[in-house]
Amino acid sequence: MSFRKYKRYVEEGDVVAIHMGRDTLKAVTVVKDEIQSNKLGSFPHNDWIGREYGSKVYSKKGSFVYLLHPTPELWTLMLPHRTQILYLADISFISAYLELKPGSRMIESGTGSGSFSHSIARTIAPTGHLFSFEYHEERANLARQEFKDHGLEDLITLTHRDVCKDGFGLSDTVNAVFLDLPAPWEAVESAKKAFKQHRTGKICTFSPCIEQVSKTVAALNEHKFVDITMFECLIRNQEVYSVKKLTVDHAIQNIRYMDARRKENKAKAKRSIDEMKGHTSYLTFATFLPVEAGTAPAATE
Amino acid sequence: MSAALETATVPAITTEDDISEDFPHIKADQCLFLQLPSGNVKQITLKPDTKIPLGKFGTFKANALIGQPFGLTYQILNNSGDIKPVRNTALEDIESTEANNREIFDSKDAQKLTHEEIERMKREFPDEADEESIIKKIIESHSSFEKKTEWSKAKYVQRKKKKFSKEFTPMRPTLYSVAEYFFERNPEKIGFLRVDTLAQILNFANVHAEARYLVVDDTQGLLISAVAERMGGYGQIMGIHDGLSSNYDVLRYHNFSKRILDSISTLPWTMVDKDEPTSDGWVEFTEEEFEGLTDREKINYTRRRKTVKRIEAARAVLNEGGFDGLIVASQYLPMSILDRLLPFVAGSRPVVIYNINKEVLIDAFLHMRSSKEYVGVQMTESWLRRYQVLPGRTHPEMTTSAGGGYILSAYRTFDTPNPHLDASKTEEQSEAKKAKTSQ
Ligand SMILES: C[S@@+](CC[C@H](N)C(=O)[O-])C[C@H]1O[C@@H](n2cnc3c(N)ncnc32)[C@H](O)[C@@H]1O
Repeated sequence: MSFRKYKRYVEEGDVVAIHMGRDTLKAVTVVKDEIQSNKLGSFPHNDWIGREYGSKVYSKKGSFVYLLHPTPELWTLMLPHRTQILYLADISFISAYLELKPGSRMIESGTGSGSFSHSIARTIAPTGHLFSFEYHEERANLARQEFKDHGLEDLITLTHRDVCKDGFGLSDTVNAVFLDLPAPWEAVESAKKAFKQHRTGKICTFSPCIEQVSKTVAALNEHKFVDITMFECLIRNQEVYSVKKLTVDHAIQNIRYMDARRKENKAKAKRSIDEMKGHTSYLTFATFLPVEAGTAPAATE
Repeated sequence: MSAALETATVPAITTEDDISEDFPHIKADQCLFLQLPSGNVKQITLKPDTKIPLGKFGTFKANALIGQPFGLTYQILNNSGDIKPVRNTALEDIESTEANNREIFDSKDAQKLTHEEIERMKREFPDEADEESIIKKIIESHSSFEKKTEWSKAKYVQRKKKKFSKEFTPMRPTLYSVAEYFFERNPEKIGFLRVDTLAQILNFANVHAEARYLVVDDTQGLLISAVAERMGGYGQIMGIHDGLSSNYDVLRYHNFSKRILDSISTLPWTMVDKDEPTSDGWVEFTEEEFEGLTDREKINYTRRRKTVKRIEAARAVLNEGGFDGLIVASQYLPMSILDRLLPFVAGSRPVVIYNINKEVLIDAFLHMRSSKEYVGVQMTESWLRRYQVLPGRTHPEMTTSAGGGYILSAYRTFDTPNPHLDASKTEEQSEAKKAKTSQ
């Protein structure tokens, strides 16, 4: 089982995303003879083994769940939160801006709950590599175990380290850097060294406050990063509601026949005013320039 | 393999993808974007032994750019088109002063040199050193220049510099830069698909290497290019298209390697139907029959045979089914696409449909929400805001795209019957039947 490669049928040892209803997901490892008990009922794992992913499976009492193949996107929705995490809107935009693709080599810090790490590893596989840094020891250990359980071990090197104090310890290695830290500006200098020195690279810092952005921009500027820019992106969920087509004639009718009709006339479609995420963080981006600026090497065949 | 896109449509210039090859320099015959001092972006193909004209910014020799690194700014030195790399201009920290703009009348009259005079100066001093002096002259003749704040002075200089410098910055086409280029230049061509929305589609669809995707792309190839870039040539893409042959123009701009181009197969809509013959009246000749043909007939036959084989191979790929996702950005109603293509999608795989208009997605959205063939059905709208970041002057950009469109996404599921329940139900039913007939 792996988050980076699909399979068709459920096998023992797989991590399965159990879909229990809208927005209710749970990650379960399939173990022979085990029973998964949740608010809907008890589901024997033995019923799942050999089923095609996407199948509906039943409890003894007839309630059902769907077995979904794990993906980084589903993992973001069901992972154990040890920190604040990144969600799809930011993850996808950052991945595009940082030009992630198979073969990319990237730094991420901190690892946190590993939401973004899963997505990065999937995107840069099979030939890329992620260097992830986390200074909270327990978080680092938990994430390392998850990467292993999810078949991402060979794609991610997780280092337990304070990157602001001790740097990344990498040079001439990566194409992209992502910093989700309280003080990203303290890691900019070391990030600069980590970039592949002979080609352009991209950096992104993720900070909720504008004051952090100012300090980061100053540091990026000082270290000669260019094309400094900033974005905010959000996803707004859309619903479709049925609305009664009422006219003023209805109002007049209603008044005329008020007594007779009083009860029937409550509107059926009830719409609550939804809340949405209004702010996650500011995404500050910049470009690393090759050092040999000005002394361009001769053309190669 | 034979199902690959004919390389005649999109020539591959490398065998390996740029990043694995790790070639940081500009190559001959590459597609490039050139950032111009005006802020505009020009797209070129770097044909060796040619001169590339950049309008008022001059003309440069293509050969001079081949083998040079990306990311630098290049200055055109003279009329013969020689260039020299200069530093890319980083954001400059500009001290702000207490002075303000109160006394400045920033009317056209403040600039005493006329446009004609400036143009004449440019013609007379085509050299780099002279460029500085032109700008200096312009500034000197600006009557209220000294009164401007440091900030607006800097901005003014920058604006003038930009307008008159003969510079350009080559940029590597990437998923991001290609999407941005078309969105700014010709959004209709790409179905108004904004880059953040495109990025979301790729994540909703869990696009990655070593998988197989079914793609319906009416964005002239923007979508399929993005999927191809994210797969790096590992895996398979099946594009279903209008007309007899695909029109994935955007593929051209990516400098894709042969491996990536070879991972793309295409089929017209008619070929999705299993009962449709691949080619009416196509008969394979025996060797003898072939030898009996005239030269012209041989060429025609060979060409036709190649097409038939390509389509047959692509149909075999499609009919294998079990695709790892269905990704759609099309002018056709989503339900009509789902009816035809859902059977080819494996269980638990994402179905992701983009449209600029929410209304187009509503029927499919309601259908999916009530169907047992999908879970996790959601419709989302993307929102993006870009900022100017300057010391003490950070703010959102004043104008922005008003909408990034909508994405309908879901996971494909199966309405598997409950084995226990079904058995008892049929028993109950047959017993009830028995009871009825015996009555
Ligand atoms: C908000 S979380 C990152 C969440 C992550 N991006 C995700 O999507 O799950 C920030 C993490 O950075 C770690 N961190 C903070 N400062 C650090 C430093 N100087 N070096 C390494 N890790 C650090 C914290 O312990 C925390 O786990």
